Amino acid sequence: MKIDIKLPACEGHGLCAQTAPGVYELDDEGYVRLVVDEITPDLEAAAEAGARVCPVAALAVRR
Amino acid sequence: MNKVVIVGGSIAGVTAAGSLRALGWTGEITVLSEEKDPPYSRVPLSKGILAGTEPVESAVLPALPDDVQVRTGVRAVRLHTEGKTVELDNGELVPYEGLIVATGARPRRLAEVGQAGEHVVRTLSDAETIASAVLGARTAIVVGAGFLGMEVASTLRHHGLDVTVIDRDPPLLRLLGPWLADLIVGRATADGVRFVLAPNGVELIGDPVRGVITGPGEEFFADLVVTAAGDLPNVEWLESSGLPLAGGLVVDDRCVVAPGIVAAGDVAVREVLPGLFRRTPHWTNAIVQGQAAARAMLDSDTAPYEPDHYFWTEQFGLDIKIAGELPLEGAPEVVAGDPDELSALLQWRRDDRIVAVSINHRMPVARLKAMAHA
Repeated sequence: MKIDIKLPACEGHGLCAQTAPGVYELDDEGYVRLVVDEITPDLEAAAEAGARVCPVAALAVRR
Repeated sequence: MNKVVIVGGSIAGVTAAGSLRALGWTGEITVLSEEKDPPYSRVPLSKGILAGTEPVESAVLPALPDDVQVRTGVRAVRLHTEGKTVELDNGELVPYEGLIVATGARPRRLAEVGQAGEHVVRTLSDAETIASAVLGARTAIVVGAGFLGMEVASTLRHHGLDVTVIDRDPPLLRLLGPWLADLIVGRATADGVRFVLAPNGVELIGDPVRGVITGPGEEFFADLVVTAAGDLPNVEWLESSGLPLAGGLVVDDRCVVAPGIVAAGDVAVREVLPGLFRRTPHWTNAIVQGQAAARAMLDSDTAPYEPDHYFWTEQFGLDIKIAGELPLEGAPEVVAGDPDELSALLQWRRDDRIVAVSINHRMPVARLKAMAHA
């Protein structure tokens, strides 16, 4: 699984980081970045849950 | 507990399902949705989807895990709490051990029974219907000058339609207070939108609908009539269940309704003051409650959730984000930028309550929220 981040769309709501802190965090500027280099199978459910709650569809899941 | 049934397939229900899995719960999850479409986001419906400028697929939410069963096109009509089953419109009884109610709300309609042609904006197919009606339309009436009505008016106006917005109250005033309402209405008026105040309300005229008549008898006609006059929680199916209803399904500070039953999103109400029940029909609230409902389903001793008083609106070239509890009385303090330039960061202070608002001012929302407190 891969997560595509559309950074210009990110508004720094932080819902992804709050939902899946093992996958997403906010950087020093306050916008999203991935915590991990790779979405391992044990992180997939969390990664998808975090993508689903983004209010501005800035996170796309590629299976 | 081995089987959770979630009634409602929008963001609250889907978030609850995803949260159960993200929390490591491996039991059976079934999501029942009356809509024909797979779960999608309602956020773009009043914007790009309505104008037909964004594809419908762009609204579809990332899929739930494969081990969550999503059944679309099935409507819950009754809840049997003693037998622990949800009765569907086809007569089927769906058994549950844990129940998450996320049936949302539906638009309030003004049309008489059988009167055709009134448009509303709640579902993907509502927005698609308007998008195709817009193609042959030159004029539009929007009934309702709340957030949804104003966003719809903005989208239709930017699409080139001649737009009239009618409400019994001054546009946005009750929601946002005079300062911010004036700013937005000023932009809308400059964009050519016409506002009509109809203190006695309106009735739709024609079948199919082709306009409205106000209390004093003034008539307005348009090619397209969209009603955005608030919503009603979908609780009728719970009326015989014995669950507490008060303008919605009553939840506590952990989203619990009764043992083994939780609720989230637009259908849920909380008692904010003794005897005063309030819904919070915003996107972020649906998410926060969906997550809280999942936690409470798995652990009845879970901590109360933190309500999220954040929402945003995009209309008439203004991207407005609001953190904190409304209303906004008086004038704000300007923290950065300049409201006259239509780009500013503002704070409203009343007693020890602070509401932070950004207007066309890019900053992380989490930081805006940190500037507000109740």
